[in-house]
Amino acid sequence: MTRKLLLIVVCIFFLAGTAAAETVPCDRDGDGTLTASELATAILDSLDARFMGGTVEAPSSADLRDAAFIYEHWDGRALTITDTSGRTTTLSRPLRRIAVFNSDALEMMRSLGLEPDRVVGVSKYVLEDPVFYPEYQGKANLGSIWSPDYEQAAGIRPDAVFLYATLSESSCTEIEETLGSIDPGIRFFRFDSYRPAVYADEVRTLGLLLGKEKEAERFLAFHGNVTNTVAEVVNAIPVDDRVPVYLESWNDYKSAGKGSGYDEKIELAGGRNIFGDNPVEYPVVDPEAVISRNPDVIIKIVGAGETAFGGYGDDDRSSFEPVLRSIGDRPVWNQIKAVRNGRVHIIHTDVIGGPEYFIGTAYLAKWFYPDLFGDLDPRAVHQQYLKEFQQLDYDLDEHGTFVYPA
Amino acid sequence: MTPKRAVLLCVLIFVLAAPVAAGSVARIVAPLPDGSMGDFEVTLTVTDIPVGGIVETIPDGCAWAGTDHPDDRTRVSGQNVAFAVIGEETIRYRVQGPTEAGEEIAGTWEDLQTGESGVVGSDEPGTSGEAAQTAAPATPGFEWAAALAALAVLCAQRCGR
Repeated sequence: MTRKLLLIVVCIFFLAGTAAAETVPCDRDGDGTLTASELATAILDSLDARFMGGTVEAPSSADLRDAAFIYEHWDGRALTITDTSGRTTTLSRPLRRIAVFNSDALEMMRSLGLEPDRVVGVSKYVLEDPVFYPEYQGKANLGSIWSPDYEQAAGIRPDAVFLYATLSESSCTEIEETLGSIDPGIRFFRFDSYRPAVYADEVRTLGLLLGKEKEAERFLAFHGNVTNTVAEVVNAIPVDDRVPVYLESWNDYKSAGKGSGYDEKIELAGGRNIFGDNPVEYPVVDPEAVISRNPDVIIKIVGAGETAFGGYGDDDRSSFEPVLRSIGDRPVWNQIKAVRNGRVHIIHTDVIGGPEYFIGTAYLAKWFYPDLFGDLDPRAVHQQYLKEFQQLDYDLDEHGTFVYPA
Repeated sequence: MTPKRAVLLCVLIFVLAAPVAAGSVARIVAPLPDGSMGDFEVTLTVTDIPVGGIVETIPDGCAWAGTDHPDDRTRVSGQNVAFAVIGEETIRYRVQGPTEAGEEIAGTWEDLQTGESGVVGSDEPGTSGEAAQTAAPATPGFEWAAALAALAVLCAQRCGR
């Protein structure tokens, strides 16, 4: 009852204050375009009032700063963008108070150099990962998309909330409806930030949205350098000659079917998913079906469920070897080519399941075709990503385990 | 390490680790040849401030004599001159008066993208955040002064052992 009452109070508070004009600040003639002359007048009025004893009516510092942003990044006009869910939103103000339920989007935003002080709330997963998200510790805890904390989310008065586009759509829609009913002024954006097919578009859209266009292009150049290097080689391999691959998630025998994200990543790396014809996105497969399809390479993903080890926050790599050994010890699996030839690899979800998928894809390509990718160094790509784009002082030689055997 | 010393070190590290202002404005004063409009010219070189503002205060005894900055981006009031910066990297203005008076010109700048502000002609880092947006010109060099003060206290404590 107390929670409901509090939500109602918060709701009334926001409804009372929702009179924000949808016009571009400092656009004097109201034609929807902030010209250089209008911006200059606003700047001079502000300086005049604050430093020169002028009595002219000056814009507020918030209006002036927003106007400068809109002029510099959005050509002086309101920005209309379409997110990955297909929804179109028009903004006449930059986003200053961002709440991010989608931690993958937060990582992508960091690749673009988003200032942490523009983020007011993050998912609980970000707060549980101080090694990877040190600068976001202490931000408001929004919970998760499956168990959101609405009081916290509304209490921080976000101007925008970021959710997933295709992951748990119904949960994300429920969050939109609830928070939208509390504060109709909140804008909602849906990005995945982990799907290769939309990754570059999402980076560009986020760059525009956040005023980080140049940073977005710089990051995409880095990302494209890796993905194009792999694609050029892979594209030359005839489809029939591609390496058959069995991929297994952290749950034993749970594989990847047609159209799943992992199926796409295997294909990008030049492999042929032995369960790529399965219509179920993440099917639980029969061990004998794996034996009969006899893959050349086995990929095991760890980092969640029963294999919640490795990754950024774990420097102990001792758990990897038993997992590797257990795959070879499965009944009759020693007959599988991948096991016989020592081509079973473990990869952590941090570098294959999220925004770092292109690092994982580079590892896969190297494992699938060691002779063709002799010069490709996924570890170096990973280190550069962390240093230049995540601004993390994290030495891969000293911390974390992401692939095994290394 | 005593708790007091640890706190001082934290202050020192925090202050010295504060982000250095990306923007800056440098000022060069040069005499003009006889017959020019004005006695000396002031050149302001704007670095990494795509959209911002500058206020210069000309010393008493000097008079404004014009600028090559666009009229609609310049405002003069008494001894104060305001410039709106929108992409310009150089602003030149002329002053009537003794060239030596050019050394007494005081100025402040603001970067409207980052919220940082600073003193024209100063190498010291500007202040950042809302404080720079709201009121009087920044107190330049405060962070460095605080850092030096903390350092001095540390040294004094060490010497006094």
